[in-house]
Amino acid sequence: MTQGPDAPRGAAPAARPPRPSLLASPWPRLALVAAAFAAWYFVFPSALSLGITLMLLAGWATAWDLLGGWTGQASLGHAAFVGLGAYTVGVTAANFDLAPWWAALLAMAAAALLALLWGRLTFGLRGAYFVLSTIAIAEILRLVAINERRLTGGAVGLFIFDLQEPFGLDLFSRHVEFWFSLGYLLLVLVVVALVTRGRLGYQMRAVREDEASAQAAGINPVAVKSWAFVLSAALTALGGCLYGVFLSALQPQPLFELHLSVRIALVAIIGGRGTLFGPLVGAALITLAAELFRTTFAQANLLIYGLLIVLVVLFMPRGIMGELERRVVRRRYAKSARG
Amino acid sequence: MEGLAPFLQNLSGGLLIGGIYALIGVGLSLIFGVMRVINFAHGEFVMLGMYLAIVLFVQLGLDPYVSLLIAAPAGFLVGMVVQRLVIARLVDIPGDSTLLVTLGLGLVISNVLFLVFGAEPKSIYLPYATRTVMLGGIRLPVAQLIAGGVTLVLITGLWLLLTRTELGRAVRATAQNRLGAELVGIDTPRIHALVFGVGMALAMAAGVILAPLLFAIPTAGASYTLKAFVVTVLGGLGSVPGAIGGGLLLGVVEFMGASYLSSGYRDAYGLFAFLLVLLLRPEGLFGRTVKRV
Amino acid sequence: MRRLLVPFLVALMASGAATALAQESVKVGVITSLTGRFAEFGEQHQAGIQAALEDVNAAGGVNGVPLEVVYEDDTSEVNAALTAAETLVNQNLPLVMGAYSSSITNPLAQYFTRQQRPFLVFTSGDDAITRPGSDWVFRLNQPSYAYADVLFGVFDALNEQHGDGYLRTIVTIHGNGAFEVSVADAVDEIAAQRGYTVLQRQDYDQSGADFRPILNRFKSLNPDVVFMVSYAADSVALMRQIAEVGLDAKVFAGGAAGFALPNFIEGSGPAADYVYTATMWTKDVPYPGAQELDDRLQAILGRTPSYHAAQAYAAIITAADVLSRAASFSPADVREALLATDMPDTVYGPISFSDYAGYRNQASLPAVAEQVVNGEFVTVYVNGEVVNEMLDTPAWTER
Repeated sequence: MTQGPDAPRGAAPAARPPRPSLLASPWPRLALVAAAFAAWYFVFPSALSLGITLMLLAGWATAWDLLGGWTGQASLGHAAFVGLGAYTVGVTAANFDLAPWWAALLAMAAAALLALLWGRLTFGLRGAYFVLSTIAIAEILRLVAINERRLTGGAVGLFIFDLQEPFGLDLFSRHVEFWFSLGYLLLVLVVVALVTRGRLGYQMRAVREDEASAQAAGINPVAVKSWAFVLSAALTALGGCLYGVFLSALQPQPLFELHLSVRIALVAIIGGRGTLFGPLVGAALITLAAELFRTTFAQANLLIYGLLIVLVVLFMPRGIMGELERRVVRRRYAKSARG
Repeated sequence: MEGLAPFLQNLSGGLLIGGIYALIGVGLSLIFGVMRVINFAHGEFVMLGMYLAIVLFVQLGLDPYVSLLIAAPAGFLVGMVVQRLVIARLVDIPGDSTLLVTLGLGLVISNVLFLVFGAEPKSIYLPYATRTVMLGGIRLPVAQLIAGGVTLVLITGLWLLLTRTELGRAVRATAQNRLGAELVGIDTPRIHALVFGVGMALAMAAGVILAPLLFAIPTAGASYTLKAFVVTVLGGLGSVPGAIGGGLLLGVVEFMGASYLSSGYRDAYGLFAFLLVLLLRPEGLFGRTVKRV
Repeated sequence: MRRLLVPFLVALMASGAATALAQESVKVGVITSLTGRFAEFGEQHQAGIQAALEDVNAAGGVNGVPLEVVYEDDTSEVNAALTAAETLVNQNLPLVMGAYSSSITNPLAQYFTRQQRPFLVFTSGDDAITRPGSDWVFRLNQPSYAYADVLFGVFDALNEQHGDGYLRTIVTIHGNGAFEVSVADAVDEIAAQRGYTVLQRQDYDQSGADFRPILNRFKSLNPDVVFMVSYAADSVALMRQIAEVGLDAKVFAGGAAGFALPNFIEGSGPAADYVYTATMWTKDVPYPGAQELDDRLQAILGRTPSYHAAQAYAAIITAADVLSRAASFSPADVREALLATDMPDTVYGPISFSDYAGYRNQASLPAVAEQVVNGEFVTVYVNGEVVNEMLDTPAWTER
């Protein structure tokens, strides 16, 4: 309800804080994201790989944010789900000639199950303990992927040679992969938008802000965290499936590395935790900067990465989108206060 | 492998490497105990120590065990500066911002090392450090014995500092109750800077004594950070004696696991132990039973 | 942000436009690690390429047109490598070559196969790149099998000298990267064929490791041969710790990578002596111009070149030869020319691509074995022949 003509002007104007527009309706912005990437396809037809890596990283970071940002349980083990997704497609295609869409469903189910168990084990732990346990579990999974050769091909890895073609689309074509990645990114954004605006979203934020109070208000924190983790894991694994097809040669080192987990988390943090578009902004900034540095500054890319994180945490603790939102909210608030 | 001698050989090997793990872990645990900060750049400081020892050795021909006298104070100073400039700004902010900032710091350090020294592994060749001593059928490497001795001296020194001095009392008071400590007039920001400095001094000292033993690679810091975590969690986060026990235990578990089970899972044994302790006894194996974190 | 983005976008568009310009040179693409973990090898590659371009262009380039190399840095990471590959494919270069690490080259090979563009591998050793391989992937360097094969040649030769049964049992220790595992697999395979017994095979994770528990275990097995496959840091650590633990064997064999580099000897000190190593090329190989090339590479690099530089040299002269024979620069014609390659006298040995032993489009060059004698690499075994005396390995207590 907006202020009616007969509402008393100037009297208690700040009684109802205005809804921040960035939270209000994500749909126009989502359409904008879709349009921007669709434009990328036509403007930079020779940089599709870059677009794909960007969108996948953005999708993972957005999915990570469900748990790490909205629910406040930072994980440094999400590479495990990327690896799980990629390997599920690879293993099932090589051994059972399973269609990739069934493999994707299977990967998501497996990731959800893993997240459920993982969460059961670790949600009793708080803060640093939880972060440390995610690193440990992801590291153990990496060692399993390296050592269990019959399943994963071990260090030599696994190759994806043939995949069944959905609607006659060649999944190995960068063009097809580009649109699939865009679809994936939009799917993650829509899911996160819906979840965070719904009941679960409020519960997640309540748990993040104060677990004890949330519990007092009748919220079961472990259940809420588990849901967030399961959704986050399943969505990350789906992106992992696409990444597996993109690489078509899977090896444990790049897929399960701590490095990838850290990157997923940091991209979300730089962009802004607990904001819908923050992780995307972070991923875009980092990926484009890295590509720029690759061709010009070369040596220094990871250094810049580290510096960026230190600076963001020190001076923009809410991340880029977080600070931006706060400013918009403040301005509106000031405006409405002035009447 | 059967028999008692090989077993003792493995046990001594595990204990000696565990001593170094303990030295790394103690710093991390101390910082957490006093400041409630998990230092994700801890392993990078170990690497910094290693490279410092290598530079001093190559440029000035300084024996690494002599350069301990430079590395430890240097680590102390760098730690103080880092604490004052970066971490002090974040200590009062709840959440994981200190964790993230130290993670970023670690990336900065490892990449600066990489830019300066390149990816090529570097090490120090000390003829006398590759020798071994036989002791009742057990072969003890000289470099590891020296490392064990240095570790013992440093940890004893730390223990004396914490328990026998006024400063140590202030540190312990800050760890137990920061507000209370401030009320009785302890300058807790200064204590924090000091503790971070001591932690970094220990980390860099560990790096120096590792230099003749292992290779320095700019990116190896992360694995030392992980080891330090395992050590501290095994012993109980924040407990200094616990970290010593945890370090020795991790060394033995890894060594025995690699020797009697599959070596490919060497790092996993420590992590399994870590998870088990985290789940069953989060206060650590050697910690007093306190309320669950 | 905008200040970064605008030049970036301009560069992206310019890269598309540049190909439209008239060709005053023939360009080939090279993807290698100029930065990141593998930058050391990228430098070696650059040195080899520089030397090769001088030679090729002094001899008239590609049918009178100078040859030029377009470098793309993979920053030692697979994503960047794939982005780089796409850039090169979109520039319609007739031939692309690369990369150093097998974990990067494998996905690249898959990509070029899908794109149906010829791809020439010149350093990555992982067997899987050309076994099973594809129509579009060619490799001139020896696959990982060759690293094990040449050392078994040495073992056979030693058995011949000392009488049968001198060497019989083997223990293997290797890193868990793709390349090391692939060599260790070859050890198992060849040992079974030639009547050796692999007593135990152990792998380890990551570098900077402590090998003593594994070595203690090996000691109780009393093996004739200790077969090691690892990268630079690990190879030095291994030999130092073997000396320290007192693990004796008749032969210490280093299956490539770390053991063949000059800093293996620098780092290990006297512990490196008597170790046999497999390498892909040395200045002593019986091919024309080897010594001169080594001197030139030394001058370019300012330090001892590794075999990777010679491989890059070979890649460029092969590219020049292929492109001057190709009917056109279309992918199909370049592929035909690659298949018809027959260069019997290169400094890297005779280069031609064939299918054998499960490999596809693989050059079949033997590796070289060296032994460390008094802190120097001595070439002892080339092309199935012993070319220098092979010294017995004394016990550690007698050194």
